Formats: sequence, structure tokens, C-alpha cells
Amino acid sequence: MSITRINIGPIHPSTHGVMRLVADIDGDTIERIEPHIGFLHRGVEKLTETRMYMQNPPYMEKLDYLAPMSYDEAYVAAVEQAMGIEVKERAMYIRVILLELQRIASHLFFIGTIGNDLGQMFTLFMWAYMDRDKVLDLLQEATGSRMFYVNMRLGGLISDLPPDFEERALNTLDYIEKRVREYELFIEKNPVFKERMKNIGILTPEKAIDLGVTGPVLRASGVQYDVRKNLPYYVYDKLHFETKILTRGDNFSRYKVRLLEMRESIRLIKTAFKTMPTGDAIGMPVKLRSPPTKNKISIVSREAPKGEVMMYLVADDQKPYRLSIRSPNFINLTAITHLAKGLRMADLFATLGTLDLVMGCVDR
Amino acid sequence: MFGWIERKIIAKAQYRHGPTYVGKYGILQNFADLVKLFSKASLDLDNADSILYGTALPILISITIFTVLLLPIFPSLQATNIGFGLLLVFVVIAFMPIMIFLSGFASGNKFADISAQRSILMLLSYEIPLMLVIAAIGLISKGYNLQNIIAMQSNAYYIVLMPIGFFIFFIAMLAEIERPPFDLMEADSELIAGWITDMSPAYYALVLFLDYSKVFMSSLLISILFLGGWLGPAPIPGVVWLIIKAIIIAVIAVIIRATTFRMRIDRILRMGWLILIPLSLINLIITYILFVG
Repeated sequence: MSITRINIGPIHPSTHGVMRLVADIDGDTIERIEPHIGFLHRGVEKLTETRMYMQNPPYMEKLDYLAPMSYDEAYVAAVEQAMGIEVKERAMYIRVILLELQRIASHLFFIGTIGNDLGQMFTLFMWAYMDRDKVLDLLQEATGSRMFYVNMRLGGLISDLPPDFEERALNTLDYIEKRVREYELFIEKNPVFKERMKNIGILTPEKAIDLGVTGPVLRASGVQYDVRKNLPYYVYDKLHFETKILTRGDNFSRYKVRLLEMRESIRLIKTAFKTMPTGDAIGMPVKLRSPPTKNKISIVSREAPKGEVMMYLVADDQKPYRLSIRSPNFINLTAITHLAKGLRMADLFATLGTLDLVMGCVDR
Repeated sequence: MFGWIERKIIAKAQYRHGPTYVGKYGILQNFADLVKLFSKASLDLDNADSILYGTALPILISITIFTVLLLPIFPSLQATNIGFGLLLVFVVIAFMPIMIFLSGFASGNKFADISAQRSILMLLSYEIPLMLVIAAIGLISKGYNLQNIIAMQSNAYYIVLMPIGFFIFFIAMLAEIERPPFDLMEADSELIAGWITDMSPAYYALVLFLDYSKVFMSSLLISILFLGGWLGPAPIPGVVWLIIKAIIIAVIAVIIRATTFRMRIDRILRMGWLILIPLSLINLIITYILFVG
């Protein structure tokens, strides 16, 4: 049969944003795929060079609009490192709690979109979205905003947690835990889901390391790498949690590893609440002139919901001289050209969905 | 009307309200949608074969309406009561995927092309089990006259006599009318909208209408063949019974739509050839041994 070249996107229901894929298909099988990116390029890295240090977090948050705080925090941590500022003990705990809530919200969104990619009529999406809203409610209480928080300040946060936050958070987390169990039953009892996901789009550990993918995608291939464990930051080494590893590396493990991670995050938040010290968590107020930078170059590595985020900051006096962002989504996207070969048309989007890309972060 | 029920049920499954604004409880929402779609400008496609493209969809809709006319709604309410009524119904229904193929092929869009190929592949996998089940029905009721089939069910509905047959027929019918999980032709996450990708708004409105009438048609057919048609306890008139049965079938189809994931084309083929055809043969043999031999 002859090869047809079809153009998928830039506007397509399941490319998760504006991405264009040029696919050569032979009947129903994909021969070659070529992603075209850059439709959302804003030049964020260059923009940061024209602004004061603490004017930049809002830009960082717009990178990954499903997990804004992870990026905001990574940037602020890089600035803190450059200025030699110590983060207050309680602020560290609060940051960990909020970041894990952010991770749960992002993974819930993933659970919803995977249903759409497999052609389910938005039911799973609406359920997951409803639960994500509950997590966002918590974040709103803690930071004052639902989507873009901008709550990180040098050495701490903009505000401490509200007084009854712990109780409400624990209630919501219990609810989410129950719902996660329900999703697991709903999804994994479904024979169509299993046959659509198992043994499809297999990424071997060697290839995964070669491609440089990180986060759940890497851990689903059986590689033990989690920045929270391997290069612990804040109080992650004091808190009890496991890094979940699955070995098969197919679509199903990529879904499952996220589900398990949500459970671990819930456990982590609960232990964090127990061991959290009292004290002060408020960071420095944002002023026009920042404190002088101590060492010139700082590199910060963080485990965002999608993978490893790195901020490479060359500090100038009052603004970054150069900020380079390692985007986990961009590097996870490179896996699709490798994975797509030989897949069926319908499985391409399931595979793309399990990589869980956010185009705002890919294009920067 | 059915569109409203479907929207409300799916909304319920997803913790939403569904349409509420147009008319009482949003009951006129679908008509509002139709009016909006009809008032939009139509597209001129460069690559389309305009004659084929323009005629395939109207033919598709007239096929569906024609099928409903062939069905006996009530002893006195049937367009024509011929001896081979059931066979005629299926001859007419078999044209639907072919019309989808023509329409998709004629539109000149690559996504529509893929969708058209899929419709033919689907046709191969479910048409044979459907026919085998109908043969079994013909065996029990000694003929294909639809009114006779209903009369034969006065003792026991065919769903009791051949549950396997009902199961196969239901699945094959879902595939025939492209309901999820077999909605591969307009798989929105892969093919954008499949064979309706390039349709003009007015044509799209017709497709919506077609969708609902196909569900109505097939649930009527299932309730006539397996649930005894208009038969039922006396005080309620037969037509009402038929409609109630049809709505129950349609609601089951809607719930399936709200909860399942889409199957893949090769899996559907495998299911058709390796599960449905053997099962329907077994059904045919059992039926023969029990009721004829």
C-alpha cells in the first residue's frame, strides 16, 4: 500500500495544545512522525533578562499552566541560591505541601485527558476535573489564587497557611484518595482500556536514558530516578515516601505510575503536616532593588509533575544575565518520534497522551 | 427529543446539568442548535466530488427514515407488510456504511478517507453475525414477516429464547449505527471528526439528526425482534409499550456511550471474526436443535 502523508494539527482535539505532527501512514500503521513545535514560543528566557529578579515568577508560571507552582518555585530557588538566602524551616514544609498538592492536581488532569485520548466521551475528564477543582480550592485558600499563584518569595512565601488549612486539606486528601481508588477500578476493570494501553508504545530503559526523558515517563520504564530522592531538596529526605517504579515501560505503566504517585503524594503531605514546625514562613517583601548576588552561577534541579526541571541562572547585579530552563516536556516530546514508529493511528494519540505534554513548556 | 434525553443522561453521568436554557428544562436545545447550524454559511470544498458528496448524506437519511417506515409500530401502522420484511430492512440498512464510505471518499479530505476505509472494514466484521442472528430468528418464527415475528413472541420473548443472539445483535447493532465504543468513523481524538470533518454546518445538522434517528431506528428494531414489539399488559396501548422498550434500549446505548473507551479497528475486526461469528453460529445451531429439529 502506498504511504499517505497526513498533517495532524496545529489545531487538533488531542495534541494537547498547539503542536503539529506530520505523519506518514501506511494504511493504519505509522511509518514516521515529525513533530513541529514553536507555535507557543514567547521567548521567556530572553524576557527574564530584561526584568528584575522578582518580576519574573509570573512568566515562569505560564510555562506549565497545569503545574505553575513547580516552575515558580524552581526559579525562586535558583535566585535564592544565587543570593545565598536560606529558606525558613516552616516555609520549606509549606512549599513541599503546596508542591505536592500541585502534583496531585496535575496528575488528576492527566487521568482525565487520557480518557479523552482513548475516545471516551469526556466522562472521566469531567470527574477528574471536578476532583482537581477540590485540590485547586485548597491551593486557593493557601495562596489566594486558583491557577497562577505567584506565592513564592525569597526565603519563604507570601503568606503562612490559613489556620484551619490542615484539617480541610486532610479531608480533601481523604476524598481524593477514595476517588483515586474509584478511578483505578473504573479504568482497570475496563477491558477496552487494558487492551488499548498494555504493551503499546514500549520505551526500554536504555532508550529512555538515551532520550533523556525524566519524571513518570522514565520511572514507568523501570529507571530509579526521582530528583526528590536522588538529589533531595528542602525536607524531602526527612519525609517518608517511596518512588514508584514500574518496569514494563508501556502506556499502561505510564498511566499507572502517575496513579501510584498521587497516592504517594497524599501520604507525603500527611507526614509533612505531622512533622511541620511552627514559626515564621513569610519571605522577603518584593522590592525594586534585590539583595546583592553572592555566587554568580546557580543551577537548581526540581522534580516537577512532568519531569525534571532545571534552572540555570547566571546572575547579574539586579536581573538575570542568562536564564536557561530545562523543560521536561520538551525532552519527553522527543520520545514520540521513537515511540510512534509502527504504532497504529489510534494508538499514536494514546501514546502522546501518556507522555503528558504541556505545549507552553515545550515552546517556552 | 431523543437528543435531549441523551444529553441529560450524559450530563448526569458527568456531574453536569446539561442543557437548561432553551425551553422548559432545555428541551428545545437541539432545535436551537439546528437553527443555528442551518443559518451558517456553507463551505465550498475544492477537492470534493460535489455530486457524490452532495447526495450521499441525504440518501443516508432517507435510508434511515425508510427503515423506520418498514418497521411495524402497530398492526395497522406499517408502510408495507411483506413476507420478507426483516430481510428487506437489513438490505436497506446495509447501504448505510456504503453511503458513509462514499461520502467520506468524495469529500477529498484525508481524515475522511481514513474514516471511509474504516467504515468498510467495520462492515466486514459485524454484518455477518448480524445476518446469522437474523437467520436464527427466521428459523424460530418460520419466516421473515415482521408482524408474524411479533405474534410468535406472545408466549416468550426472543430475548429469553436466545440470549446469546440478543447479545450479538445488540453489539452488532451498536457497531452498525456507529455508537461508542465502535464510533471509529468519527473518532474525534484521532480523525478530528472522520467522514464529517469537512461538512458544511447545514450538513452537519443533518448528521446530528441522522445520529439520533439511527439510534431510534435501531432501538425500535431491537425491541421488535427481541422484546416482543407492541406486546404487553392490556391497559397501556401497544404503541406506548413499543416506545417504552425502545427508549430503554436507547438509554442503555447512551450509558455505554458515556462510560466506555473507543475500541481499535483491528480489535473490532478480531472481535467480529473470532468471537461474534462463532457465537452466532452456535446460536444458530442451538436454535435449530431446540425449536426446529
